[in-house]
Amino acid sequence: MSSHREAPAISKDPVADNTDTYAFVSPDDPGTVTIITNYLPLEPPFGGPNFYEFGDDVRYDIHIDNNGDGKPDITYEFAFETLVRDPNTFLYNTGPIDSIDSANWNRRQFYTITLIKHGKRRVLARGLACPPCNIGPGSTPSYETLAAEAIHSIGGGRTVFAGQRLEGFYVDLGAIFDLADLRPFEKLHLGGMANSLGVNATNGFGVHSIAIKVPKAELTRDGSSPTNPMSSGSVIGVWAAASRQKSVIRESHGKRHVAGSWVQVSRLGNPLVNEVIVPMGEKDLWNSLTPADDKRFLKHVQHPELAGLLPVLYPGVFPKLAGLTAARADLVAVLLTGLPSGIIPGFQNYTGKTYADELRLNMAIPPTTSNPNPLGLIGNDAAGFPNGRRVFDDVVSVELRAIAGATYPLVNKGYTPDGAASAITDGLTDADTTYLPVFPYLGTPQGGYQTAPLGLVAS
Amino acid sequence: MGDLTRLGFMKSSVGAAAGVTGIGALVSSQADAAQGPVGSESVVAYVKDPSSGEVSVMSGDREVIVRDPKLAARIARAAG
Repeated sequence: MSSHREAPAISKDPVADNTDTYAFVSPDDPGTVTIITNYLPLEPPFGGPNFYEFGDDVRYDIHIDNNGDGKPDITYEFAFETLVRDPNTFLYNTGPIDSIDSANWNRRQFYTITLIKHGKRRVLARGLACPPCNIGPGSTPSYETLAAEAIHSIGGGRTVFAGQRLEGFYVDLGAIFDLADLRPFEKLHLGGMANSLGVNATNGFGVHSIAIKVPKAELTRDGSSPTNPMSSGSVIGVWAAASRQKSVIRESHGKRHVAGSWVQVSRLGNPLVNEVIVPMGEKDLWNSLTPADDKRFLKHVQHPELAGLLPVLYPGVFPKLAGLTAARADLVAVLLTGLPSGIIPGFQNYTGKTYADELRLNMAIPPTTSNPNPLGLIGNDAAGFPNGRRVFDDVVSVELRAIAGATYPLVNKGYTPDGAASAITDGLTDADTTYLPVFPYLGTPQGGYQTAPLGLVAS
Repeated sequence: MGDLTRLGFMKSSVGAAAGVTGIGALVSSQADAAQGPVGSESVVAYVKDPSSGEVSVMSGDREVIVRDPKLAARIARAAG
């Protein structure tokens, strides 16, 4: 998946497992940028009685690099605290939760958001309430209204939300991890089955989102709101990370003692990088580093393993890709430096020579409000991935096509990609899930009561 | 516990010898009162490599690296 359970260590620590990060100019408030970062992959909505929540012992950060060095210049730090009203019941709620401060809600979570800029820490807000999980009509009636109470304006033009959302990332996991099978092209796969429709493996699952909307001017290095797409000052790099304290002592009475400095255990900039670019033996290391350290992974971007597998798994379909042995400067630009000016008319999101996995957002590109193309830049929609990432962007298809060679002509006009490079997909679109037109943009999570257990049999 | 300093840690760990190597070495505070105040917050000492002579001391969200080959060796020996 984008980064769900993508590395051996973090796959065992879902509370700290960053699954997706998004950054885009808010379509309904274009003077602002919204950044969303998700944790707790694949939440079955009925997962009670201890429903999902952020980790009180995890520090969640959203980082902004506005000078291209791969290091954070601005950080929004989120720290959570869980409060239990009555420890003598096993129940998450003892009656309907009809408001965010309902006395019936037994296990609540609150958070503090701190801005770190130029090394100085400033608490922006404390005691911000998260919404409960969507349990069902008996426990969480009018869930959308309830969740809306957890959208907080915290001054300075900032708006925040932290809590459960419907998974917005759509992907056919079952097929892709079955030897890179793409159901719409199965007939061409080594397996040789009949073509079929894609299956959205994340359908109906929940996720825990941290979302913040801030004025653009807060993110630029000169404090201005960018208007010129060709200016380097219009571009920011965004990534998110989770950290845990270095030591954990498990006491015999069931309690724990944590101590020590904070150690990063998960991060995410561009989707699917640690998932399918970084090899197994380096994934945990990748999660521990900052983008400024990513030069050590350069060779994996230049020569992605999947580019070598596609011609083998789809015999005769990718002959041009099979012959493409040069370092993939196109993928390096898309993922590690941004696209310099002169490649796509009127567009750039270049941050300099530092190789750093960041979502690069040119904030001067206005949002596409009418029929945005989920294929983003390769679909002639410059407001979408890899210019930042919107919640509905089809990053699976975009990256599959890029790895298959569709973007290589950007750096070598003499290269003609295989016909399949601009066609392959896992067969899903943004219509396979739902979103909101307004903050926090990810859809309303599905209720546990309303959810049938997994049992769909795909052909 | 107050600020973790190299001196403060050494004082608090003298006589403790209760640590073990590896993550989770817990050194209880049994310092000589004459050698300075000792707080009540738990302290974790981690000797990653006894031959380095370094002891990582953690309390709250702070971590101090103490370079003391004798101390590191004592903790390592205490671990058997």
